[in-house]
Amino acid sequence: MLPSRRFERSTGLFVLLLVTSFLVTTFDVRADGAGVGDTLREGAQALFAPVQRLADSLTRPIVGFIDGVSNIAGLREENDRLAERVRGLEQEQAEVLSLQTQLDELRKINDLAPPDELDAVTARIFSNGVSDLDHIRWIDRGTDDGILVGQAVIDEAGLIGRVDFVADDSARIRLVSDPRLGVGVRDLATNEVGWVEGQGGDFLTLKMFNAVEPVHEGDLLVTDGTRFPPGITVGTVRETASAEVGFQLISSVVPAVNLSEADFVKVIVGWSPLDATQPVDEEQPARGNPLIIEQ
Amino acid sequence: MNRNVGFALGLVIVAVILQSALFGEGRIQPFDASPNLVLVVVVATVRYLEPEPALLVGFTAGLLMDLLGGSPLGLWAMAMTVVAFLTLRVRDRADDGPFTVAVGVFALSVAAHTLFGVLGTLFGQRFFADPGVLRLMIVPGLYNVVLAAGVVPLATRVMRARDARRWVA
Repeated sequence: MLPSRRFERSTGLFVLLLVTSFLVTTFDVRADGAGVGDTLREGAQALFAPVQRLADSLTRPIVGFIDGVSNIAGLREENDRLAERVRGLEQEQAEVLSLQTQLDELRKINDLAPPDELDAVTARIFSNGVSDLDHIRWIDRGTDDGILVGQAVIDEAGLIGRVDFVADDSARIRLVSDPRLGVGVRDLATNEVGWVEGQGGDFLTLKMFNAVEPVHEGDLLVTDGTRFPPGITVGTVRETASAEVGFQLISSVVPAVNLSEADFVKVIVGWSPLDATQPVDEEQPARGNPLIIEQ
Repeated sequence: MNRNVGFALGLVIVAVILQSALFGEGRIQPFDASPNLVLVVVVATVRYLEPEPALLVGFTAGLLMDLLGGSPLGLWAMAMTVVAFLTLRVRDRADDGPFTVAVGVFALSVAAHTLFGVLGTLFGQRFFADPGVLRLMIVPGLYNVVLAAGVVPLATRVMRARDARRWVA
């Protein structure tokens, strides 16, 4: 048993630390990505990022081995699924070729230039969050490479997330699966716009406030150009749903990107949400898709 | 004692780095949940520290998790300070045997993750939006018990050896 005076002192320290933590959290939440909290994060990143990269390179083979062993059982099922998918894609390819011809004709008619290629910086993920409740990734590029808070992060399949903190040579991505991240989307099948939010799990939530048309299972959702560059694939609708009168449409979405397999990513540095509202200059067209800017 | 505190802090730093490199989405995450190595290290080391340094080690571990994670600063610091405090209160029971240690680690893990989830929700983090949040509170506790089987005896051996050397000196 501890001496009572010692115990009182430690209880006092315990309460002091709790109060300190509470105040620190309050200030950090209130500062919302600025202030002392971010300065401390930058310092911690400068100190720990090199060690984390080293740890990542050392542990990557171990993680890969364990991941491979745990996936063996699922490989046969995955193979069948992919074979089915290939058959579907071959069919789609024929349709796409036909549509491509139509699109080319429309472009000629409207005299539209193809959208500029957006500038992007390639980065590699070197660290995860520290718990299952963290839906973040750390990448090995920062302000030195032109990365800024708010920029979209993609891979070959679609949208991964958004940069929400930047240090000199590293940055933190908040994933689309994070409940705090919202993405404005457009349903390519109906052209209805809505909002996709993370749920922390495998699926996202789709909300459409003024939808007239229903959404159908398999509809492709892309970014609508409000906070992210337009046209980036976000995911596909998982359940058919329609809006009842006076209520919003709610459905769930399968993300286009398998977040657990993301390794190399691209940060789009050549686009600002402000571009979406700028008038198109014929001499110097704004970055992004001119089709969206005109809306 | 100072050297033991330094050793505990060193272990905590290693644990935080390993946690972000080894565990989580895209890394080792069986059944979509991963252990909390930092918590296990805190429980294993603060048992052998005086109360005040023990609380500071818990607080520092949590603060490091906040700095290198995605949560607001102070959330894990609060949860880990509570873990350190509770460990101090029940550390005498650890001598009862490995089963008691396992139950203790599991209970502390669930308590820490629940506290973190509740506090985070109060601060607008929407942790409970995840339908699988209950699993994320409980499963890491089971993994932590497995990790503790390796970490606790190791930390016990090292900390006791350091204590013995100190008394001899």
